[in-house]
Formats: sequence, C-alpha cells, structure tokens
Amino acid sequence: MDHFVLPNSGHNFDAKSSKMGMWLFLYTELLLFGGLFLVYMLYRYANQDAFLLASFELNVWMGTINTLVLLTSSMTIAMSITALQKGNNKLAINLAWATIFAALVFLVIKYFEWGAKFDHGYFPGMDHYNELPHGERLYFYLYFFMTGLHGLHVIVGGIFIAVVIKRIKSGRVNKNRISLLENSGLYWHLVDLIWIYLFPLFYLIH
Amino acid sequence: MDNKEKNAGQTAEHEHISSYAEHFGTWIALCVLTLMTVFISVFGADLGSLTVATAMLIATVKALAVALYFMHLKYEPKIYRAWIIVVMALFVFFLTMVIIDYITR
Repeated sequence: MDHFVLPNSGHNFDAKSSKMGMWLFLYTELLLFGGLFLVYMLYRYANQDAFLLASFELNVWMGTINTLVLLTSSMTIAMSITALQKGNNKLAINLAWATIFAALVFLVIKYFEWGAKFDHGYFPGMDHYNELPHGERLYFYLYFFMTGLHGLHVIVGGIFIAVVIKRIKSGRVNKNRISLLENSGLYWHLVDLIWIYLFPLFYLIH
Repeated sequence: MDNKEKNAGQTAEHEHISSYAEHFGTWIALCVLTLMTVFISVFGADLGSLTVATAMLIATVKALAVALYFMHLKYEPKIYRAWIIVVMALFVFFLTMVIIDYITR
C-alpha cells in the first residue's frame, strides 16, 4: 500500500475500478434486455404468422436510418474519447455534442414512428389494438415496451454525455481523468448494441 | 497533487489510444453490414427460414465489432472478455430453461 486516501476526499480516483464497475452494470443491462429477448423469441415462435403480419406495419426505412444514426453516434463518442486522450478537449467536446445531436435525431424519428402507430391506434389499450388477433397484440405490446425501454436508455445516455461535456469544460474530466467520458461512452455503445438486435427482430423478420 | 501525478503516470502506461482511422473503419464496416442485412430482408425474402438466421448472424458480427473496437474490449484485460462469456452462458441457461418449460407443458 503505497498511499492512503480518505474516502470522498476527491483524491481517490481509480480509473480501473471505475471502468470495471461500469462494465458490471452493463452486464446486468444485457441480462435485462436478454430477458425481454427471451419473451420475444418464445411468443414469436408461438405466433409466427401474426408476428410476420404485424411487422409489415413498421417502416423499414425509418428503422434503417435510425440504425445508421446510432452507429454514427457510437463512432463520434468513441472518437471523443480518443480526442480527450490526446489532450484535444475542444474536439472531444464537439464530438460529444455530435453524439447528443444524433441521440436527438434518433428520438425525433422514433417520435414520428410512434406517432404514426398512435394515429392508427396500435398502442396497447387503443381501439384498433383491442380488435387485433392475440398474436399481433403481443407483437405491438413487445414493440412498444422494448423500443420504449431502449428509448429511455437513449435519453439517459444523452443526459449522461451532457453532464460529461460540462465536466470537460470545468476541467474535472481531462486527459488524466477520463473515466467519466469513457463510462458514458460505454453506456452509449450499449444503447447501440441493444438496437443492433432490436432492429432486425422487429423490422426485418419477414 | 501527488495522487494526480501518479494517476497521470498510470493512465499513460495502461491506456490504449484507438486511432480515429480505426473508429472510422469500424463505422464503415457496421454501415455496410446494416445495409446488407436490410437488403437481404427486403429483396431476398426467398431465403425463407434462413433470413432470420442470417439477420441474427449479421447482428452478432455487428455487436462484436462495437464491443471489440468501439468499447475497446479488444484492448482490455482478459477478465472483461471472460465475464462476457459468463453473461452469455447465463443467457443460454435461461434460454434452455424457457425452452424446456415450453415444450414440456
């Protein structure tokens, strides 16, 4: 033990533990969505035709654009980490802003997608939804629940990155104390990872 | 202040800095795979049951690319990759239990 620091003194920065803690949290997130994927797989197996029919209601092109938007945002946040590691704070901040911008684009497109479904009454509890066969109702229920939970993660990730930008500006996150930016990046990549599976499952199952 | 210098040393020693080019290359690969999976689904519907398997395979390749390069998993200590395998094993266990439950009903 070469040095001792009081807890919460601000001097107990430990990059390795920070990252490990973040990864442990991400593993629990994987299992959270993993459980939902299991539900999806089972119900899809039991209602194949209904799931196929219901999936034609989704707009493949909007889904594709959103996938590309998320992939691009993953690249910008990854580059933001590279920029900060090289000591280029300005570029790191701009790339983090680009990520938040992509998050907003994703949410706006999602808003229009969900809006169209609401207009047609596909949200659980609406008139048209109640008239649908059992299998299609399951599909839309899972669609709204899983993309909704994912959308929540997009919002949280965006706020997380905004906090990090503020701290890069104030100097609390810098070249030598990069953990918070790295962790926000890891969280953002998880959002991307989950979408990578949600997209083919809901949009491309023809 | 002593701590800060120490941390500075630690960071420089252990952190791998990925290049912009590497991230850009990963992004290109991910975009190509996305367009591929969309085109297979929209125009290659005659693949039948293979379409789902192909889509999942491509999704897994994309997920690996994100984890290994964007999330730096390739440059982290082995323990991180070992944990991923534990999580996957746990998922497969849950999956098996659900399937057994379903077919024995």
